[in-house]
Amino acid sequence: MRVILRGVVACALGAGIGWAEPYTPGEPVKLGFKDFASGFLDYHCLECHDEATKKGELSLEDLGPIDETNADLWKSIWAQVSLREMPPKKKEQPEVIERLQFSDWIVAELQRVMKDKGGFQAHLDPQKGNFLEHDLLFGKLPEGIKLAPAASPKRIWRVTPQEHITRLNELINSEPNYDPKKPGVRTRGDVVPTNHGGELKLYFGVDRIIKWQGGTVAYATSVKSVPVVLSSARKHGLENYPNFYTVNSAEATQILGKAEDILRYMAYGPLSIANPEQITDDPNTYEKVRPKGDLRGLPTALVYSTKVKRPLTPVYELMKASELSENLLQSAVDYVFEAVTFRPPTSKESEQYLLVVSEAIERVGKEDGVFIGLSAIFLDRDALFRPELGAGGKPARDGRVMLQDWELGLAVNHALSYIKPDEELRRAIVEGRMRTKVDVKREVTRMLEDDSLRKPRILRFFRDFFDHDLGGYICKDNNALAATGVSARGTAHYRAMFDATASTDRLIELILEEDKDVLKELLTTQKVVATRNDNTYFGRLRTQKEREAVAAEQRRAGKVAKEKAAAELKILNNKLTSLDDRIKAVKDGRAKRDLAREKKQLEGARKRAQDVVKKGVRKKGNPSVEEAKLSGSQIFARVSHRSFGNGSMKPERTLATAPEGERLGILTHPSWLVSHSDAMDNHAILRGRWIRERLLGGGIPDVPITVDAMLPDEPNTTLRSRMRVTRETYCWTCHEKMDPLGLPFEMYNHAGVLRTTELGKPVDTSGAIIDSGDPKLDGPVTNALDLIQKLSESERVEQVFVRHAFRFWMGRNETLNDAHVLQEAHLAYRESGGSMKALILSLVTSDAFLYRK
Amino acid sequence: MQNQGFEPETCIPDGMRHGGSLAKATLPEPIKALEPFKEKLHIISGLHGIHTSPSHSAFFGALGGYRGSDGVPPSASTIDYELSRALPETLLPHLCIGMDSLENMKTKPTVANLSASGAGQPIFMHSNPNHLYQTLYGGISKGEIRKQHEARSGMLDRIGQLAAAKGGTLPISEKQRYGEFVQGFEDMNGLRERLGSVSDHLRNFAPKVDDRYSSPEFETDWHDVLLDLGISSLKSGITNVLTIGSGRGEIFGSWKGLGIEQQGHNLGHMKQKDNPIWIKIRQYNSRMLVKIMEELESVPEGNGTMMDNTLIVYTSNNADKQHTNGANWPVMLLGNCDGAFKSGCFTHVDGKRPINALYSTILRSVGVSNDHFNMTEKMAKKFDSGSGPLREILA
Repeated sequence: MRVILRGVVACALGAGIGWAEPYTPGEPVKLGFKDFASGFLDYHCLECHDEATKKGELSLEDLGPIDETNADLWKSIWAQVSLREMPPKKKEQPEVIERLQFSDWIVAELQRVMKDKGGFQAHLDPQKGNFLEHDLLFGKLPEGIKLAPAASPKRIWRVTPQEHITRLNELINSEPNYDPKKPGVRTRGDVVPTNHGGELKLYFGVDRIIKWQGGTVAYATSVKSVPVVLSSARKHGLENYPNFYTVNSAEATQILGKAEDILRYMAYGPLSIANPEQITDDPNTYEKVRPKGDLRGLPTALVYSTKVKRPLTPVYELMKASELSENLLQSAVDYVFEAVTFRPPTSKESEQYLLVVSEAIERVGKEDGVFIGLSAIFLDRDALFRPELGAGGKPARDGRVMLQDWELGLAVNHALSYIKPDEELRRAIVEGRMRTKVDVKREVTRMLEDDSLRKPRILRFFRDFFDHDLGGYICKDNNALAATGVSARGTAHYRAMFDATASTDRLIELILEEDKDVLKELLTTQKVVATRNDNTYFGRLRTQKEREAVAAEQRRAGKVAKEKAAAELKILNNKLTSLDDRIKAVKDGRAKRDLAREKKQLEGARKRAQDVVKKGVRKKGNPSVEEAKLSGSQIFARVSHRSFGNGSMKPERTLATAPEGERLGILTHPSWLVSHSDAMDNHAILRGRWIRERLLGGGIPDVPITVDAMLPDEPNTTLRSRMRVTRETYCWTCHEKMDPLGLPFEMYNHAGVLRTTELGKPVDTSGAIIDSGDPKLDGPVTNALDLIQKLSESERVEQVFVRHAFRFWMGRNETLNDAHVLQEAHLAYRESGGSMKALILSLVTSDAFLYRK
Repeated sequence: MQNQGFEPETCIPDGMRHGGSLAKATLPEPIKALEPFKEKLHIISGLHGIHTSPSHSAFFGALGGYRGSDGVPPSASTIDYELSRALPETLLPHLCIGMDSLENMKTKPTVANLSASGAGQPIFMHSNPNHLYQTLYGGISKGEIRKQHEARSGMLDRIGQLAAAKGGTLPISEKQRYGEFVQGFEDMNGLRERLGSVSDHLRNFAPKVDDRYSSPEFETDWHDVLLDLGISSLKSGITNVLTIGSGRGEIFGSWKGLGIEQQGHNLGHMKQKDNPIWIKIRQYNSRMLVKIMEELESVPEGNGTMMDNTLIVYTSNNADKQHTNGANWPVMLLGNCDGAFKSGCFTHVDGKRPINALYSTILRSVGVSNDHFNMTEKMAKKFDSGSGPLREILA
């Protein structure tokens, strides 16, 4: 059979259909099933997957052209062939071009066949970005490949939930300006962060609340806030490609409702949500007139200061004026339009929205009409989607058109910022100085150098890259959590994790400030940005023997304290008896009062001693964990506005050094470790997959639906042991790419606490780097620190990092046509000594960023 | 979904411990109003929600069967949303109503704490009856409501047109995604038009707008009219699924209209059994349940009434009480959904099946087969002693 099939392929090639012509990635596929794909299958696959052999229970012998019934199978073939899993390494391999063409053909056919059935987009997913062979992008291309000039598709890019909330926040809250003395404190331009519960919300007027009734939950309930309404995928990775999202009707309805709330607040401030008597600098005046009874959890439980803190905008002017004037109305329309779209309206847009507002006013009067009418602008296309259509540009002969003016200016702005362009950039756009690569370089360089111009998009990239912000969302089993040594009480752990996210964010910023060997530093830093809780999280889990010794010591100390208190109690009782006698005897009023005071003090001391005798002393320290002693200078992390009364997140942090030999970079910090754990234990597979994809540039095919992807539930068995099931041949082909990379992190438990033993035996932290693509890296590793150290020194790892940065800033997966852009970006990073600024500058001045096709 | 917990002692007849018929039992004072409807009632105790960490409230976890907490976004869809997907399509797939203190309903007319259409996708509850009336019956309204409705309709028409016009220049690949956005306006305008096109039909069901809408004396005035709106949306066929959150899934709430001066969190810290305050609140709830049943019984459907094909689920968003661990999560079912569910009885289950099992059972009754609602096999191994529906409650 094999011999005959060779002939078939030879015929196909002989007919000049294959790679006789130069192959250009991205060009329409001209090949068909009969004249190409069928021959590929026959030649490369059927030796093992024919009816007779049926390896892995899979026969491809009767597989026909792609249709909806066999689309899943073809998708698997696409993954296997693109990732070079198939044909197996020991078999003859297809030529590079043949493999690429086969992959292109499958994708094109799947897109065509699935068009009316939900479409086929898998190849656009960032998780499939690595399906393109790394060495083709950074190595020498084989002959016969002709690359097209780089460009991204024309598109509209939906704003992200974070971006949307930060944009709206600008309308109702004045954030402080950047203070170089406190560079970590949240300032204008920083993203609105998630709150104590990990929820992204926009708060109204919390900067003016000076008094409230009740505890933290009561505060949170009484405060007016708007939750994010644009949807987004939770388990993120790179989560913001333009093609991911639209705005559905439920979201649009909510945006409209919230827009009216925002507009009313812009006009009236806290008076839009509170009664006049609640606005006072002396809370006592409100105390006298407030509604009687328990106000906890009600908006009337709050007192606002009289100081106006929100921005006073044309909407305020419009509503303040007693008469309705067209000028005021027009300037409110134009102001709101630019505030939500970041560009001034065209005269046509301005007229259209003025008409909408005027019609609404005509129907229901000024008060409601203004708010109903202006809210329409919040749903303008450009308020929710940023266009990159090449408007106004002239296409070159190759069909590419360069972005210019507002489209280019806003693309550059969006590369770094969530708020509207600063004055300089705006001026450059308006004056026609945003049309060339030089213009972009000038503005981006300026923006990167200006610390006061906040650049939350860069931090977002690192969140998307590391996924270190998911820890607070991983629901832990209470018993399993308690066994890690950290607090399992209430929401303590989850709050610690949201704090840890803010801390890791800040650590990343500190490394970005240095801007040297950024990736290597992130992977190997000894710095820790810490809260007090981190002494536990960065601590070491004591062994059973040590725990018993600590408990025994605590018992001994308790006994000693009790005995001491009993002795003191005796003395105090005697003293009090004699004092009572003296009080009775003394006549002088003043002396009597002095003695009474002394008695009160002694009684207090007696009460304390009695308590110790009765209940014992509170045990000091956590017997399960030897705490780290994280000390250093005070710094600040960016946390949300006061959203939870006294229980809100606090910005204060310590810049400390990790305990020696125990941690190495962000991957060993609890924020990352917990983000890659599950309810009961570590998640070695997820961690391994992260390293395989994000650092080594490898890909993992989707889990076949026939696989019951479950580890056995065996209490009191190590994760490593339970993972033995993944070593079965069928599973191991994929799992060998993940498991040996994830298991070295078993040196930490699933709260991120270091451990030396597990179930009473020394913990096994061994692992291996297998088939990484860089032979220097391959080999066994002793633990996570050994693994990370090796990875941090690899040029390939650096290149994979650049690939991810490309994806983030271009909003799409790289193609072979982007090879030059990637090589240039990597070179810029290398030559600058590992500067993120140089990398970003290279990317956003590249053709892939500037041109659309 | 009443907040602050639902103590089993306040609904289980005295002397009943392990279950049995309610025929000869006398319902406790708080739910006395349900006495004439006993044959429709099924009191269930012994389900658990330990995995939802209810404490003050399980928030989305109460209807989702997963861990929830204040400020924590939903981690999956909730049962009411899933039901709305499974049931025949209606003009408005799913309506959520939230009842709270008057202040909260006015300043925060839409909050989302209980229902969700997926992970990170909350569904909002309507709490301002004027807004809800405008949405549902704006087309047949008069006076100020009519004007507001027209202003909003006019604005939506305009922005729909503007949005469509801005889609013209998009490349084909983007047209579809942007098309969904434009379609959103068509949906919104379409809902209005669809409601408008059946206005003669709706006129028969729209509640009469009175002073309670514009000048409520107590929060209960708004609670009552919200209930009217909810019932009318069921009767008129606008929706098949109605979720009512009394206390809106949080730990506050107010019932001054019942003569209860205390409000908010303190109510949660009180023992409910034999407590005059809680008897009043529960009686008020029971009267609401009676009203729903009576109203639905007045609508002929098939060979019977709409109530014959309805299931009302009454429970709390934090199990049995404040600061609970969720070991017992009492529920009352009313109606049998065309004979699918047992009724007229009390059932005590052994505390080993989670509320998810109840949701799984309900979902099966509308033809969606599932073994563990919103629970992975791993979680189910730990928190569910069984699999599939709760046989104890099926007829």
